[in-house]
Amino acid sequence: MRKTLAVIKREYVEGVRGKAFIISTLLAPVFMAVLLVVPGLLFTLKTGGATRIAVVDQTGRLYAHVRESLMQGGDKDARATESAPVAGRMETSQQQQMEAAAALQTHFEIEQAPVGGSLAEIKKSLNERVLREELDAYLILPADILERGEAEFYARNTGDVFTSGMLESRISRAVIEQRMRDENIDQRRVAELSRQVRMETARVTKGGEERDSGGSGFFLAVGVGSFILIAILMYGQVILSAVVEEKTTRIVEVLFSSVRAFPLMVGKLVGVSLVALTQFAVWALMLLAVTLYGAGAAAMWGSEISLPTIPLLNFVYAILFFMLGFYVYATIYAVIGAIVTTEKEASQIIVTVSFLPVIGIYLAFPVIRSPNSDFSFWVSMIPLFSPITMLVRIVTETPPFWQIALSLAIGFATVVLMVWIAARIYRVGMLMYGKRATIPEIWRWVRQA
Amino acid sequence: MRCAPRGERVARRRPIIQPTDENGVTLQLENVTKRFDDFTAVSNLSLRVRAGRIFGLLGPNGAGKTTTIRMIVGIIAPDEGTVSLFGQPVGEMTRERTGYLPEERGLYKKMKVGEQLRFFGELKNLHPRRADEVIDRWLDKVKLSDWKNKRAGEMSKGMQQKIQFIVAVLHDPDLIILDEPFSGLDPVSTELLKGIVLELKAAGKTIIFSTHQMGVAEDICDDICLINRSRKLLEGSLREVKQSFGRNAVALRAEDAGEVLEDRRLVARVVPRGDFEEVLLADGADSQELLRRLVEHGVNVSKFERVEPSLHDIFIAKVGEDG
Repeated sequence: MRKTLAVIKREYVEGVRGKAFIISTLLAPVFMAVLLVVPGLLFTLKTGGATRIAVVDQTGRLYAHVRESLMQGGDKDARATESAPVAGRMETSQQQQMEAAAALQTHFEIEQAPVGGSLAEIKKSLNERVLREELDAYLILPADILERGEAEFYARNTGDVFTSGMLESRISRAVIEQRMRDENIDQRRVAELSRQVRMETARVTKGGEERDSGGSGFFLAVGVGSFILIAILMYGQVILSAVVEEKTTRIVEVLFSSVRAFPLMVGKLVGVSLVALTQFAVWALMLLAVTLYGAGAAAMWGSEISLPTIPLLNFVYAILFFMLGFYVYATIYAVIGAIVTTEKEASQIIVTVSFLPVIGIYLAFPVIRSPNSDFSFWVSMIPLFSPITMLVRIVTETPPFWQIALSLAIGFATVVLMVWIAARIYRVGMLMYGKRATIPEIWRWVRQA
Repeated sequence: MRCAPRGERVARRRPIIQPTDENGVTLQLENVTKRFDDFTAVSNLSLRVRAGRIFGLLGPNGAGKTTTIRMIVGIIAPDEGTVSLFGQPVGEMTRERTGYLPEERGLYKKMKVGEQLRFFGELKNLHPRRADEVIDRWLDKVKLSDWKNKRAGEMSKGMQQKIQFIVAVLHDPDLIILDEPFSGLDPVSTELLKGIVLELKAAGKTIIFSTHQMGVAEDICDDICLINRSRKLLEGSLREVKQSFGRNAVALRAEDAGEVLEDRRLVARVVPRGDFEEVLLADGADSQELLRRLVEHGVNVSKFERVEPSLHDIFIAKVGEDG
């Protein structure tokens, strides 16, 4: 035990003190933030002056309204009529944000093109002005736009989908408003009447009705799944190199004259996972700080914040299954590390392994639709997938406790078995360095050792 | 903090076992065999290493030395036969009282020397409170005190080797196993470590010393065992081995000794060597008889010395015979 602690301590101290750890701990959040924010900013960023647009109004009465609508900005964009599915919610709001931001960045200079003469002549002269760069684009509102709902847009740059999208929605609005005015319909009344229905979701459980916004549990499960994936992508390699290290440096022989392979392997795994947990804890604290700050700021602006309500027990399960998932995959990496002689050799196998948690995340979708089916039961017993699938079952229709316990027990037994196998392979494999072991050889090592 | 005088035993919480069994034997191998697949690395080997002696485990490359050592330190288990240390089977207890410098050496490159030694000490149950003092003393002994807070990767190979030597001895083991400890060291460092090995012997430690450099073995070993192709060829004290090798030779420098040396009942062969001749006596002949005959013949003798076969000669002869 004392020796295992010594190994844990060494792995942890060396891991946490390394430059790589410090840099990645501090820089990763910055990097993430940059990745999230910058593309949005870049898309909305419109360099150069205002977009100059000429409007050819063949109806003779729309120009003023269209102009008003175009100059007004996007806050009244007709979004309310769209129905947003649960999973799509985030996307929609992101889209809205982006468009709102685009609106802030886009200025129009609108002018009315003379209507005299034939359409072909007007277009010809406007085309020339566009090519001379006196204009950026022009719009044609045909006489029958109110009936047919079609307008034409001509521009030098038609690739700017943000601007054309915005133009389309604002012209629509002007046209819709015009139609309503023509029919003597009160627009405010329409807005009032087309209010949407909101569904309150409650879960029926033995303990009564639980009110949570159904999606939050699902997000918890998929979130944990993604987190396992990220953790493994980041730390699988670290575990692998920790295991291979003594082999390539030949320290292993001194180690094995002092400590058995199993405690050594346990020490390494625990040491590295503590390094990982330290890093995640730092990030979690950073995230919490930012969230609190953000929430505080939002509260100051008077907006209402609704934090998802997740039962405490589910959090406990989430942590348990996250740990399980991490260790299941970590031990797979440890076994690979025990087999290979250098890290390079391992790279191909690693790609395959890091794919497995993705399968687990995909399996979450069939499971959420029928959490108590036989299929769901079995996939939530397989340790490779159970951290995600069982968690999905818990947050949807909580299965009987014995199933949760069984899933955890199978997972835990797998971890111990894998460490044991890794230790055996490691011990025998180190004595025959210089070549990669074949599968039958490995099997022999595991049996004999 | 008071410095404990050398030799003072570490207070251990576990029961103290005597450094030997009741017969003064530290290590005993009985009919030990180890096979790897079809290859037999060690075959029916029996050995006794007496306490407080330096035991040379000699043999050519691939003879089975390292495999034997790995069984002694408990890295691998023998297929047949028994290994006992301090009168006990190999296990957790014997591991802590054994220090091992393997031939394949390595250190954690990025770890500081002092921390590294502390870690290896902890693995051998060296008490953390004692560790600092012990580490400082050893670093001072091998003249590397300035390196305590530097990374091992910055050291030269020879320096690293000295650190690895410390790893083998810092927990004050009763049995120290050194596999080619001087290979690649400069003469000054070699002498330094040799001196330390002899000091350890004087402090009552048992040392197993594996090498194929016969010169070094001859310098410091009390007992030797020569193995070749997984089998033991000979064993015994250095003196016994040399005597039993049965080569009778005299280093002679003399003028006009021709006639005496041609007597085939007395002299088997004469081998010229630098400024003297090595005279190999015939079977049953006695060096005293040769000296008498030389004096009788009025030969002017300026050098007459009985020479023992060197370990080197024995090694070549025995291993050569064995094929």
